[in-house]
Amino acid sequence: MTGQRHKPFFLWRHLNRLRWVSLSIVFAMLVVLPFLHVYQTYVAAHAYDLLSPPEKRIYDVMEALTQPFVSDPAEDLDAVKGNTWSGTFWGLKLSDPLAALGQMAAGRTLYWPFLVTALLPVAFTALFGRFFCGWICPATFIYELNSNFASWLRWAGFKPGNRHFDKRIKYAVLALGVIGSAVTGSVLVAAVYPPAIIGREIYYVIALGGFSAGMVFFLATLLFDLLVARRGFCRYLCPGGALYSLLGRYRVVRIRRIVENCNDCAKCNAICEFGLDPLRDGFGQECNNCSACIAVCPRDALTFTIRPTDTAAQGPGHLGWQYRREVEAPGGQEAREEEAA
Amino acid sequence: MERRTVLKALIAGAAAAALAPTTVRAARFRPTLRYLRPPGALAEKDFLARCINCGQCGEACPNRCIKYFGLENGLGSIDTPYIIPREKGCILCMKCGEVCPTGAIGRIAREAEAILDGVKMGHARVDESLCLSYQGKTCGVCYRACPLPDIAITVGRLEQPHVTDKCVGCGLCERSCIQMPQAIRVIPDRG
Repeated sequence: MTGQRHKPFFLWRHLNRLRWVSLSIVFAMLVVLPFLHVYQTYVAAHAYDLLSPPEKRIYDVMEALTQPFVSDPAEDLDAVKGNTWSGTFWGLKLSDPLAALGQMAAGRTLYWPFLVTALLPVAFTALFGRFFCGWICPATFIYELNSNFASWLRWAGFKPGNRHFDKRIKYAVLALGVIGSAVTGSVLVAAVYPPAIIGREIYYVIALGGFSAGMVFFLATLLFDLLVARRGFCRYLCPGGALYSLLGRYRVVRIRRIVENCNDCAKCNAICEFGLDPLRDGFGQECNNCSACIAVCPRDALTFTIRPTDTAAQGPGHLGWQYRREVEAPGGQEAREEEAA
Repeated sequence: MERRTVLKALIAGAAAAALAPTTVRAARFRPTLRYLRPPGALAEKDFLARCINCGQCGEACPNRCIKYFGLENGLGSIDTPYIIPREKGCILCMKCGEVCPTGAIGRIAREAEAILDGVKMGHARVDESLCLSYQGKTCGVCYRACPLPDIAITVGRLEQPHVTDKCVGCGLCERSCIQMPQAIRVIPDRG
């Protein structure tokens, strides 16, 4: 065990920070877009002189933000519209795979012009697994802050909920949502899918002046996460997470434990938002490649790898006491002396 | 503890049983909403099956006339777009159809021909007993608000409006009517 040990690429442990940048950018985009839309309507109406002071402030700020990039705000700012549920980015239309599935169920037909907009996300999910949940989802942004808030509460002596349920419940929710959409003939699954709700509700409150029914549902899920189960909605109930898990089951990019470096400290299991078991190589289809476990590992024992299945359980980490006692026991004394010297 | 939960369940059940008939009755006798779907929208059933509630139509609307249902129109049309013509009419810019990813709102070119062919949001109807022009007070506001004047609406003596069957139901006339209650209304045609 001396000398050369396999070390993960040094940037992997900083990916978690990059992930927060990504989440923040997506969330900021969802907040800015409605303001941009409101600004566009003011421009289209040539209404600056008629605006109230707060409306003038929106106009001025948005004008200052966009002036270097657009010449005709009313038309040019149409380039980016929508949210993570379905959006238009400079002519490229992207949609959530769950939107495609829900619509297929509701209409019981295949409408190809829409289904192709979900192809790119599906391909990325096949490669990176449930990455949407960790890297893009605007609800994750709030849920993770909520999870941090729960850990502060724990530090302050309160007891936020930490119950565990069966992770397979969310597949039942997905099935129910799809069946419900098919029965009612309306994409009902969008009403219980937090990222879709967040995208809409931010627009409602900024451009239309008030939250809608979805916000009540979202607040309920926040309370559920806080009082019943940590990240409970994502872990146990989210229909979109279920679909992404299924699509990403044989993802190519996944996290692997380097058993030679591992000392069984279990920090990875404690940090994992999705309640997975990196310590015993238990990643499974639900891992969203968020890389929080890589960032927290003190021994460089977790890294990315390229293969379609998880490594089988590798037993205790070679730096841990359990491995020394059970496997190295006969010659263990020498090895320890060597390391100490 | 056991007894308490049982009691709670009993009370909740009794309350639900007591409230259920009134809520059902309220739903049955609630006046129907007179709302329009955005221009080029499919017939209501197909529209609901197609629309994924992404909200891009409202975000593209330069007139901000497109709003979204909560639960007031039933679970099926939650978060789907609608227009209340008395509050704000559609200016027929056709941007919502352009941005709609699912074809729930069809793509229609912003030309008079295409709009007259493809848009059927509803049809305006004049209440002659309320209309000022029919009471001898020359008005003509609806005619001037119409984006298709002399095609969808013509005026006769004292600017009395006559809606033709070419009307696409954008609702700008209803929005502009200076009478309260309005003398011209769009009767929705959701297919």
